[in-house]
Amino acid sequence: MIRRFALVALLLAIALGAMAPALAQETIELEAWVAFSDHRYDWAVDTAERFNALHDDINVNMVSVVDYDTIVNNYTLGREDGNYPEIVQLFDAALQFAVDSDWFSYAETIIDGRDEVLGHPVNFDDIIPVISNYYTVEGVWASVAWNTSTPIMYYNVDLLQQAGIMELPTTWADILDACAALQPMVDDGTISACATWPFSGWFIEQWLAQQNEYMVNNENGRAGRATEFNLDTDAYRAIAEFYRELYSNGYFIFEGQDQWGPPTQTFVSGKTAIFMSSSAAARAVSEGAAETGFTLDTVGMAYNQDAPSGWVGNILGGATMWISNGLAPEEEEAAMAFLLFFSNTENSASWHTASGYVPVRNSSIELLSNLQPGNEILWDIPSGSRVDIEADDWYAAFPNYLTASTQLGNSTVNNATRGSTYGTFQQSRPYYNGLVEDYMLNGGDLDAMIAKTNETLTELLQEYNFLFADE
Amino acid sequence: MTESASSRFVFDPSAGQSRPLWRRLIPQRWYAHLILTISVIIIAFPMFYALLISTQSNPEVWNHKFTPGDMFFENLRTVMVQRNMGRFMLNSFVIALAISVGKTVMSVLAGLGLVYFRYPGKWIVFGFVLITLIMPGDVLLIALYRRVVSFDGWPHPYVALTLPLLASATGVFIFRQHFMTMPPDLSEAAQLDGASPLQFLFRVLIPLSWNTIGALMVIMFLFGWNQFLWPLILLRDQDLQVVQWGMQSLTQNLEVGDNFGPMMMGVIITSLPPMIIFIILQRQFMKGFALTRDK
Amino acid sequence: MEEIVFAVQPVIVGLVGALLGAGYFAFLRWQTRVGGLKASLLVGAICGVAGAMLLTAPLGYCMFEADKKNDDYIVGWIMVALGLLLTLNIGSTLLWRFFRGQRLLPRGDTTPGAFRGRNGALYAAAALSPTILVLIYFVYLPMVDTLRLSTFLARFGAPRTRFICVSNFSRMLGDLDYHSNLFLSFALSFGIIIITMSLALLIAAMLNQPIRGANIYRTFLIWPYAISPIVAGSIFGLLLGTESGIVNRVLDLTLGVKVPWLVTVPAAQFSVVLASVWNVIGFNILFYTAGLQTIPKDLLESASIDGANAWQRFARITFPLLSPFTFFLIVTNTIYAFFDTFGLIFVLTRGGPTESTFTAMYRVYVTGILASDIGKSTAQSLILFLIVVGITIFQFRVGQRRVQYGNY
Repeated sequence: MIRRFALVALLLAIALGAMAPALAQETIELEAWVAFSDHRYDWAVDTAERFNALHDDINVNMVSVVDYDTIVNNYTLGREDGNYPEIVQLFDAALQFAVDSDWFSYAETIIDGRDEVLGHPVNFDDIIPVISNYYTVEGVWASVAWNTSTPIMYYNVDLLQQAGIMELPTTWADILDACAALQPMVDDGTISACATWPFSGWFIEQWLAQQNEYMVNNENGRAGRATEFNLDTDAYRAIAEFYRELYSNGYFIFEGQDQWGPPTQTFVSGKTAIFMSSSAAARAVSEGAAETGFTLDTVGMAYNQDAPSGWVGNILGGATMWISNGLAPEEEEAAMAFLLFFSNTENSASWHTASGYVPVRNSSIELLSNLQPGNEILWDIPSGSRVDIEADDWYAAFPNYLTASTQLGNSTVNNATRGSTYGTFQQSRPYYNGLVEDYMLNGGDLDAMIAKTNETLTELLQEYNFLFADE
Repeated sequence: MTESASSRFVFDPSAGQSRPLWRRLIPQRWYAHLILTISVIIIAFPMFYALLISTQSNPEVWNHKFTPGDMFFENLRTVMVQRNMGRFMLNSFVIALAISVGKTVMSVLAGLGLVYFRYPGKWIVFGFVLITLIMPGDVLLIALYRRVVSFDGWPHPYVALTLPLLASATGVFIFRQHFMTMPPDLSEAAQLDGASPLQFLFRVLIPLSWNTIGALMVIMFLFGWNQFLWPLILLRDQDLQVVQWGMQSLTQNLEVGDNFGPMMMGVIITSLPPMIIFIILQRQFMKGFALTRDK
Repeated sequence: MEEIVFAVQPVIVGLVGALLGAGYFAFLRWQTRVGGLKASLLVGAICGVAGAMLLTAPLGYCMFEADKKNDDYIVGWIMVALGLLLTLNIGSTLLWRFFRGQRLLPRGDTTPGAFRGRNGALYAAAALSPTILVLIYFVYLPMVDTLRLSTFLARFGAPRTRFICVSNFSRMLGDLDYHSNLFLSFALSFGIIIITMSLALLIAAMLNQPIRGANIYRTFLIWPYAISPIVAGSIFGLLLGTESGIVNRVLDLTLGVKVPWLVTVPAAQFSVVLASVWNVIGFNILFYTAGLQTIPKDLLESASIDGANAWQRFARITFPLLSPFTFFLIVTNTIYAFFDTFGLIFVLTRGGPTESTFTAMYRVYVTGILASDIGKSTAQSLILFLIVVGITIFQFRVGQRRVQYGNY
């Protein structure tokens, strides 16, 4: 009798078990496209899995799409045939495109004043102001910041001290002075040159912002749609002249436009004393410096001491996560919840250790300077998992990681440091960077060059506006 | 090869028994060895350097170490396991094989159609095929994508990926030339025996064309293996991606320095399958191309 | 008033076409002394009108409208000239075939040994249809789709496009940067082809000697051919960096010099040629070694008995007999150099320093793929396409005369 009962109970249990998935809610499948494909992608996958473990009914699937341009192109094509992801990582240069395309729901609109979504708290006040302001369009928070960086200076302190420079250079004039002091070491073959860094248009954007200058009209396109380029400024001229002076004195090693690898390599192998790069390179540069055996120190990006406004602030660089519009309400909720989780205090801190990108939240910086055992924050690249940070204070052990956060934290928020937004960002970069390159290498009539480039870029911008702007 | 070598031997004045000692010590045709050795050193140097880097860590590369490092297996693991290159290589192998077989079959057929039948306007047809050789495929990708996705009955993404690539102007050109070198007696005899064109194709032409087929397959395999932009746009499932996608993800360095070891490990590993195919089909390749035309 | 001017344009264009066509046909009539003069004039005029309208009519003669700039008119007349070139050539060929009482369509090269019987065309259609269908649907139609964009202001993802007639083309007419891009494409391609082919021929000739280990040499020599252009760019970036490259490291240690390979003119151009040659030479070596195998040994041996030295044998027998391979390689190398090197340039130099390695195809890539400005990009690629078609036709013309299809 008992046996028979047990048998029936067993059969019932099996039947219920088989029905359980049918009874449970249907899983919400979300796809997220990211531009990373290295250890940073591994981190994103791991974090998505952590989120999935919290929500039985949501499954976020991370897809790597190789690079920023491909993401924009593939997403645009996908929009045509309905084959696009719910969440997509778009880089800073695509901001205006994201706004003009009308393809995205803005985070703040989705949240709609709530203080939590599916149990994940909303606390935007916590985010460093210059970061949150970059992605504020039409007065609302559009996307969720993820990988954020800013340029900083890296110095080989041993070499500087050998040349008798005890203070780290913070301005252009300091750099030129330091280079003059280092020149004997170049002449006797100790080092190859004073300075090198990637010759990137991003730095020109940064230096314009530092000098409180706009790249395009209508206050960088922040007060209204940008319609004209604004290259004919003293700030832009000063940048070109600075490069020219560096180069013509033989202080600067030029390795080609947008080549990031070679200058990094030159600096970490001890062949130059001064280097400038993204704060995201902090990990690679620190490891390289340790291997070569020199003392590394960092300060904020050097600025033009002659600018009327002094140093105002820097812009961020990097990319953010956008949510596609036209999703089912529960999909949109799940996507929003995921991004809140993705950028929460712990994950922001962990992302910082994985990638070197700055933590976007002040609370993450606090967390990193006040660590408890069992924190599981440090991303261990070889094993692809999170482990404990052993120290109490991450920044005490790696002070160079704090430089970028400080720089962004100290930045005044205005429409210069919010960065420019206009449709032909990606197309224009090689022009205003190429002009400086041309002037640096060959000299020439700077005013004429600027006038010509300004005209070309304005024409391209107006063409874009004609096709995208509301009539 | 051996036959011609021995026949040459007779006419080579330096090959007599009475060679002085110093001539016997230096290998015959030393100049050929010299030139080839220099060429190999120069041409293969980047590959050997890549091989060296694949054993090193980043700082070792940065500081130009000329000795192998101990990161070989670590880099191999990164490429094959962490970055899933094994999977991508398998995918690319399937795609490249499908492309090379498909292109060869279609080129053989087209060659048959261009050589063995009489009809007016043949040169127009040939020109129509040949001019596609010059069309810049990369420019057409977006339009091609729209054409391809407008049909949603593809049984598998790889079908949509490979089908548009199956026509080959090079293949048609080569098979046309090859069939033109065939003695006309062959088809005359086949016709006297009452063979149909298909029978002629399978019983006579193909058995006589294995070398050309093998040679073309080597080239077309490499074409398929090196596909990058098209799969990048078309394929949305990461597990279906191809080897050049994997390579790109190894070379990517958004704002951070390169990771040289895994990158060069990728270069070496992904160059091996086409090389193996080539070594296997080397004999065919060397005999395969008769672009000459018997009149 | 404007409308009247606009209505007059097609008439003028047609009239010019008719005059040119009639004149050309009359000239041909006078030269050949075959056929009737009236028929020549009439057909010539018709062909002329058709040619003048061929490319301009589909655009509604917009390039001749009153408000257009000089450059637009020039582009318009170039289009008229291109159309005339096409129709007058075809028309005259057909007409004179008719005058001479020949079939209008030639039978093509009818190989001895082609199948007799009436079903030939049917069989041929069946055999050719897979290739033709794939080409039509996946190459020609996308080509048409793409070319349509060349007369538009169009951006990828934009909600609208704007018809701008031939502005994308006339813009290039006055764009000195674009001219230097084109010139650079020619110069670099010329360098790539000459260096690749002469080195490949030398190496292939050595490989063809009866020596030990030829297979091993060959395998190493074609290894770079298994590398895609983008990856080739990455490798050469590692080799040629001014401070970071291994080549300068070695030069510095041995000779005490550093060459700025990628950041000075003309070193950067040389480096791009070098990397391209490296990438494509394996393919050339393969074809030349295969070609050398087809040369009959007895021919060389009898020449050797007759007292011809190695150089004479090469110049008089080997090289002429290799000409089909040379011809094939020139065509494929031209296409590689013009179209396939942009990935390599992107990685290696970004077209720099100061646009000194900015080739025309690289501009197409930058404008279309990176900047999404697809209207301009397709116009640029169309020009490039026409140029390469021109080069290839030229190569075929010269080739037909020079190529020896061995009469042995």
